Amino acid sequence: MTEGRAILLAAGLHLALLLALSLGLSSQMARFDSEPDVTPVEFVQISDMAQVTEPPRPSMEAAPREAGPPAPAEMVAPVPPTPVPPAPPEPQVKAADTAPQDAIADEVKKPAPPKVAPQKAKPKENFDAGSMAALIDKSKPDAPMKPRDTSQFAKTIEQALPKQSRLSSIQAATLEQAIRAQIAPCWNPPIGGADVAGMTAILRIRLNRDGTVSTPPEFVSQTGATAGNQAYARAFVETARRAVLRCAPLDLPDDLYSHWREFELNFDPRLMT
Amino acid sequence: MIRLTLAFLALAPALALSAPAAAQLRIDITSGTEQPMPIAIPAFPTNAAVETPAGNTAELGRQVADVISGNLAGSGLFKPLSRGAFAAPAVADVTAPQFGSFRTAAAQALATGTVTANPDGTLTIGCYLYDVFSEEQLVRQGFTVTPAGWRRAAHKCSDLVYSRLTGETGYFDSRIVYVAESGPKTKRVKRLAVMDQDGANHRFLTSGQSLVLMPRFSPASETISYMSFAGDQPRVWIYSLGTGRQEAVGTFDSMSFAGRFSPDGRTLVFSVTRAGNSDIYSYDIGSKTTRRLTSGNSIDTSPSFSPDGRRIVFESDRGGAQQLYVMSADGGNAQRISFGDGRAGSPVWSPRGDLIAFTRMQGGKFRIAVIRPDGSGERLLTDSWQDESPSWAPNGRVILFSRTERGGRSSLRSIDLTGRNDRRIPTPLEASDPSWGPLLK
Repeated sequence: MTEGRAILLAAGLHLALLLALSLGLSSQMARFDSEPDVTPVEFVQISDMAQVTEPPRPSMEAAPREAGPPAPAEMVAPVPPTPVPPAPPEPQVKAADTAPQDAIADEVKKPAPPKVAPQKAKPKENFDAGSMAALIDKSKPDAPMKPRDTSQFAKTIEQALPKQSRLSSIQAATLEQAIRAQIAPCWNPPIGGADVAGMTAILRIRLNRDGTVSTPPEFVSQTGATAGNQAYARAFVETARRAVLRCAPLDLPDDLYSHWREFELNFDPRLMT
Repeated sequence: MIRLTLAFLALAPALALSAPAAAQLRIDITSGTEQPMPIAIPAFPTNAAVETPAGNTAELGRQVADVISGNLAGSGLFKPLSRGAFAAPAVADVTAPQFGSFRTAAAQALATGTVTANPDGTLTIGCYLYDVFSEEQLVRQGFTVTPAGWRRAAHKCSDLVYSRLTGETGYFDSRIVYVAESGPKTKRVKRLAVMDQDGANHRFLTSGQSLVLMPRFSPASETISYMSFAGDQPRVWIYSLGTGRQEAVGTFDSMSFAGRFSPDGRTLVFSVTRAGNSDIYSYDIGSKTTRRLTSGNSIDTSPSFSPDGRRIVFESDRGGAQQLYVMSADGGNAQRISFGDGRAGSPVWSPRGDLIAFTRMQGGKFRIAVIRPDGSGERLLTDSWQDESPSWAPNGRVILFSRTERGGRSSLRSIDLTGRNDRRIPTPLEASDPSWGPLLK
């Protein structure tokens, strides 16, 4: 008897609870719909406005005020992606992406000529110090324009180089250490990138005798760059370049200047990842 | 023999040629610093101080710079310099900066711009980035917004600077949804809340009448899925931020847990529990059809799509303890990827695809960890008492998670995937179960 009553009571209470909860649900749903804060107008409007693709107007206004001639050039160069006014912001982002890719491509092309130049320069210098004056005098008139003879020339010089003009292993190690110790603290590689593994960059550095940079660090080559990570690859090279500019002037032994006047740095963050 | 000699002779010049190049010094730089990059972010000048509904444009210029500074500093990769360290630029200086002043301040980059009030009542915020050493303009872009939307322009500018300098996409113009908690342990009130990535523009989405859990942003749209106990029936709901509309996902006779969206936002994967057995289902939002992906007696739960939508990572106890498994999106070919001490749960695939974040449970602690999809390279990122519910920033670089302290207080935190820069995300109440939304369009 009492058990039956209890069951009835329980059933009744459950029903009441269920009713209350379902009412609660409906009132909550009504709340969702009627809550004006939930749909902030500003976001919709903002995203509309953010789609404006015109290049920043302020710059255009500011440009005429500048008397300096470089400014207009600077303004004109990046502007080309001035497309149809209502275009979405993506084109701009793409434009920004492609421009730097071109820049990298340029950089990749550049190294070719300089590569030849330093090779020529160095043998000459060695030659001056060495005893090969006759050979140079001979080869120059013989083949001033022929590249093959020039290579032959370089080869002969390399073979005949007096050993004193080369760095001893101790000197080389000391010099390397001195350069590394000064560059590494200035290098802030982007190590959190997805493609950091296997990414390296080689820059050619040219310094004045006082340790200042004589020409901007020159891009030589890069590994790990793919079509999909151009922006990251570019940023990687820029961190390397920035490290050199930031650390200059370097403090290096004056008597070894001929060896550090020009050298290459291979930026490879493998120990950091 | 003769041939060999000939071949050698032919090679000899080449070898000799390579010698001079090798003689040049080449030095490997195999390590660097991990100091944040010093960057100058002066107050954005305005060509005319104009009153707008969001305040004076001169004041807005300061606020825009503050938001950008906060974003960049928050990433842990940049150190915005004190504005007293350099001369405040005028409008003309924005396009032709005086680099000397910034170089003296040891800035490596300069992020600057202008704030202009347009005749139509909108604001144009121009954003410029320069390399202080090479004195080159790296990137620039303008954003036109309503005065009320100035923060979004500042976030867009932050993303522009961040992506140009790091080579990764930005994440600042995005939002976070989470569960705001208040009240005593026995009578906890849990409400859905959404805010900007930096904690601004905070809003509650639900009243707290019914328990809500596991909100998840769709990576493709302004849609949130979550689990609600409304009507005493724990179910997955989909909530559209744009319209405020919500709908229940499927009708199951038992408990279903909030899942995650596919990268295109068209499919939702979640788990359904029946009599102690839990399986993974996918729900097509367009056709409203449900499909079962796993079966068996094990508890399979917490599914998350790979960014290409082809695979799903989930947790399962089919091998005894809770571990991570990867299967194809149609449910076949499940492979275990997590091993080692303890259990592994709540996996989330990175939007960039290279890592899966999860909660590693061992030695009485819950810690955030990452692992590659093939099971290699597991790394623990945090070391606290109870860190859980990881969620990736839209660029796959930062992980958001909730931390519960021994006293019971819970809060939102973020950490860089390198394991550095563990920081608290400000919320008005206690907070748990965060989900980072996509970059806004």
